[in-house]
Amino acid sequence: MDPILLELYRHRFSGVAEEMGVTLQRTSYSPNIKERLDFSCAVFDSYGGMVAQAAHIPVHLGAMPRSLEAALDAIDMWRPGDTVILNDPYAGGTHLPDITMISPVFVADRLVFFAASRAHHADVGGMSPGSLPLSGELYQEGVIIPPVKWRSEGRLAADLEKLVLRNVRTPEERRGDLAAQQAAHSVAETRLAALIDRHGAAEVEAYAAHLPVWSERLLREHIRQWPDGVFRFEDTLEIAPGEAPNGEEAVIRVAVRIEGDGVTFDFEGTSPAVSGSLNAVLPITESACYYAVRCLAASDIPMNAGCFAPVRVTAPPGCLVHAGPPHAVSAGNVETSQRIVDAVFGALAQAMPARVSAAGQGTMNNLTIGGSRADGSPYAYYETIGGGMGASAGADGLSGVHVHMSNTLNTPVEALEMTFPFRIETYALRRGSGGAGERRGGDGLVRAYRLLRPATVTVISERRETPPWGLQGGAPGTCGRNTLVRPGGKEETLPAKFSRRLEAGDVLRIETPGGGGWGKG
Amino acid sequence: MTERIGIDTGGTFTDFVHLKDGAVVIRKTATTPDDQSRAVGEGVRLLGAGEAAAIAHGATTATNALLEHRGARCALVTTRGFRNVLAIRRQNRPALYALSQRRPPPLVPEDLRFEVTERVAADGSILTPLDEREVAKLGETLQRLDVAGVAIVFLFSFLYPEHERKAAEILKEYLPDARFSLSADILPEYREYERTAATVVNVYVQPIVARYLDRLERAVTPRRVRIMQSNGGVIGTKQAARRSARLVLSGPAGGVVGAFRLAGTALGEKAPKILTLDMGGTSTDVALCPGEIPRTAESAIAGLPLRLPSVDIHTVGAGGGSIAHADTAGVLHVGPESAGAVPGPACYGRGGDTPTVTDANVTLGRILPDRFLGGDFALDAGAAQNAVEKLGRSLGLSLRQTALGIVRIANASMERALRRVSVERGYDPKDYTLVPFGGAGPLHACELADALSVRRILLPPQPGVLSALGLLMADIVYDTSVSAPDDTTGLEALYAQETERILNVFAGEDGGQPAIETLADMRYRGQSYELTVPMDPANPERARERFHEQHARRYGYDMRDAVVEIVTLRVRGTAAGAEVVLPQDTDRAGASETSGAAQVGETPVVLDSGEGVMTALYDRDRLRFGHAFDGPAVVAQYDATVFVPPSWHVEVDAWRNLHFSGM
Repeated sequence: MDPILLELYRHRFSGVAEEMGVTLQRTSYSPNIKERLDFSCAVFDSYGGMVAQAAHIPVHLGAMPRSLEAALDAIDMWRPGDTVILNDPYAGGTHLPDITMISPVFVADRLVFFAASRAHHADVGGMSPGSLPLSGELYQEGVIIPPVKWRSEGRLAADLEKLVLRNVRTPEERRGDLAAQQAAHSVAETRLAALIDRHGAAEVEAYAAHLPVWSERLLREHIRQWPDGVFRFEDTLEIAPGEAPNGEEAVIRVAVRIEGDGVTFDFEGTSPAVSGSLNAVLPITESACYYAVRCLAASDIPMNAGCFAPVRVTAPPGCLVHAGPPHAVSAGNVETSQRIVDAVFGALAQAMPARVSAAGQGTMNNLTIGGSRADGSPYAYYETIGGGMGASAGADGLSGVHVHMSNTLNTPVEALEMTFPFRIETYALRRGSGGAGERRGGDGLVRAYRLLRPATVTVISERRETPPWGLQGGAPGTCGRNTLVRPGGKEETLPAKFSRRLEAGDVLRIETPGGGGWGKG
Repeated sequence: MTERIGIDTGGTFTDFVHLKDGAVVIRKTATTPDDQSRAVGEGVRLLGAGEAAAIAHGATTATNALLEHRGARCALVTTRGFRNVLAIRRQNRPALYALSQRRPPPLVPEDLRFEVTERVAADGSILTPLDEREVAKLGETLQRLDVAGVAIVFLFSFLYPEHERKAAEILKEYLPDARFSLSADILPEYREYERTAATVVNVYVQPIVARYLDRLERAVTPRRVRIMQSNGGVIGTKQAARRSARLVLSGPAGGVVGAFRLAGTALGEKAPKILTLDMGGTSTDVALCPGEIPRTAESAIAGLPLRLPSVDIHTVGAGGGSIAHADTAGVLHVGPESAGAVPGPACYGRGGDTPTVTDANVTLGRILPDRFLGGDFALDAGAAQNAVEKLGRSLGLSLRQTALGIVRIANASMERALRRVSVERGYDPKDYTLVPFGGAGPLHACELADALSVRRILLPPQPGVLSALGLLMADIVYDTSVSAPDDTTGLEALYAQETERILNVFAGEDGGQPAIETLADMRYRGQSYELTVPMDPANPERARERFHEQHARRYGYDMRDAVVEIVTLRVRGTAAGAEVVLPQDTDRAGASETSGAAQVGETPVVLDSGEGVMTALYDRDRLRFGHAFDGPAVVAQYDATVFVPPSWHVEVDAWRNLHFSGM
């Protein structure tokens, strides 16, 4: 392979994935996609190997290839103009709101590539608006779509569309979002065909295969410089007594084995899957580990299948981080993924103390509000709230940002109030919440919502009782807090996870955790 | 004809283009960084400009103040509960995969961010009236804090600006000398962070810009000066000082205007379709002009969003100074690090020993070491080769292969930028003429054109001073934007109000009667991003039709039965700059004179194929109207070198532009 062409093809393939992303963002309807950028786009080779990915969300990193795998297993015959859709966490998905679409790209009647996109849709049905419920089994979380053809040879499967849309709260929005994903795929098709037209299929495909080899080499080179050894750590998720009828706990235990130019993450000893929705399917656990490796290696290594090769992830089937059906999983993607990262970094900090940061807020503070507007029209609103980033040897933690597995934007207060019947009373930095130390942890945020009409409010949050840890003597960050303020001013502390009906005039105040400090102050 | 001077202040040189009695005089002087107006005043004097000469100036004062964090000490006043919107930004971290991150601090520090009690609802109604006593108390506090400016940003002020106005009125009593920027004036559109950012940028650079413009006017008095704005039009100093945020992206705008106007003349089209390529030392700016100068309201600078109209330019970090290096897997990369001016490329002989794009071009014979800047600055070809060779050895590549690889990878970055503004937006580069300028643009133009299937290239006579030429040719432009109501009557009323505002501004500009254009930012109800289309306020239906068409062009589909919303109404007044007639040759040279008259020798060049050949060397100063030649060839001129690969044919027009056509 030519070291110059390789770099040229990196530009070419990542250009395609990025352009898919621009199209998806610009034409979608869910605030999650268009305002918060909760989506990823990727190009795969015809065997399902990832060639390039434009990811805004690390939790999609290792999960997208699993979608391809599931689709390849399920679909016998691919034809030009096909698109496969899926969200089944037990067949290529992670949690139901993330809908993945996959289209084959044919050139001269030959399947050459796949274009794939994954986006977080604002609602896919289920027991609470926004589809991130406090569920006990998967069936409560929304419409489950195994890998099936959404389009066959260019024709939309209209019956399937009817069925899916009938199962969600905001069908028009879903229709628009799915069209946006499809539009992104068309862009990929056009661009890849043009590449082949210009450079010939042989060269284009050869370099699609060379790129992962290159990435793997770069990554192994980095890992080789890490100290060999086995490093263990454990961290825990919070389960309220009411959520654990059998006194369950949710402890994630990891042993990180660094050996030469490879690394293994072994989750042996992790608690079994729980009765709530904190369970994570294996692709989420893999994503969390790939993310951690990428943070410590150079982040400019081209993102493709080669970035996964030096990393092995194992977890006992049926455990919290390798859950099986019919366990509920909605919070596994958003919360458990964060704690997996914490556990993994807790272990890696022992290997590389100067390079790993203290724990960040460790939660996404998921908030869903659902109800109806004054004109009777229903709505479902979902957002996540940033907090403190952990401090590191090099810098204080940033304040009021998403950490690790998420990096979604906020929804502007003005955009939100123009669309939904609630009002933001405060959006502020939570001063003093970051852990003290030689380097300070970042501060959390305070966001207060006043409901103008009754609504069902669901919060899934973490680090309300177990604070984000500091490192090398740094103090932990302050725990988060959820508070209900009644019209008279009476305050009530709410649990980390709840779903309840609130009245007009009620104010929900969410204070997010600060990050851990680094070094003795 | 009016005497005109275009003056472009750059980092190293201040360029002057002086047009008088049908002749063009070009001058470069060293920029005076401590006070840029000194170089300007000095240059104007040396040019012997008449007192009636009209000056158009591209200043970097506002941009530098922002990039270097040297703006004024300012306060920010917000709705209670929201003073940290500026610090929180959009809640995302700058890098996805870094455990240690920093962001530039907010332009207004925390102890200068204040809240007052007031609240307006999403429908523009008052929820909590402004607490005027509180504002007065804040006035006393601010007096003690010695601030030069105050930004006032209240939620939903684009629907109800009165609270911001009242607060400003009260605070002014306490701070008679401070400058005030109200978000309802600066960017009356929804999204509080973006509105806050624009308002703060405005007040942050304003005192510095005002002082600079004051000095500038004194330096060139009594001549009239207009200032280039980010939107590609010039405006009088009074407006420029008031709306300073509209200047911060003006740097690359002049070049696009210059390229567009020059192409209009050279191609004989009023609305030429061109792709511009401005390649400098550290970065390259590209823009696509589909028969007009493209504008966008979505830009960013210094990590801040700036939703104010600016020429739609896409920048990539690849330039002549970009450093080539190999990674641990033995793959070649170019940039994003740049050698800058010091030590600069290895061939500068200032101690740099890492190979750059410029060194690769020297190695390939495409930059002539003894003709760089007219021979004023001799390059060290040996140093360039050594640096490239050393890198090649680590990759197992020959000197030639390495140098070609560096050029090809730099081209890939620029190609991606050109694609982003063309193919990705539904424009086919085949229909466009590429206009390269800047020192290095002409070197890479033909290979980029080949990659994009562009068949025509237009090379201006002085690619190095095109920005200054653009300043001199720019229209006077003043634009406004307002959040739009849904109903047609409301639109017409807004249009009338904005038009009156614009006419008032032009009355003070002495720029004649402006043409009024209306545009609307539209989207399908439920989307969050808008497309801007021309609109007749009396007939918004036609604009909706255009929106469907643009949506289909850009994104590949439209939704004819969906509701199309008008989000923002934009009104722009334009007074055409006086017709600029550039000097031209009247006698056409015979084709037989071609190579003889302008060819000054032969020089060895490595082609893209890796083959080394002897090519004709032309002196640009000797090329005349009617001359024509085929590649491969090298054209040397003072401020640029041109490489013409085989399969390109070149003709010189009456204005001494070079027209390249693919064979």
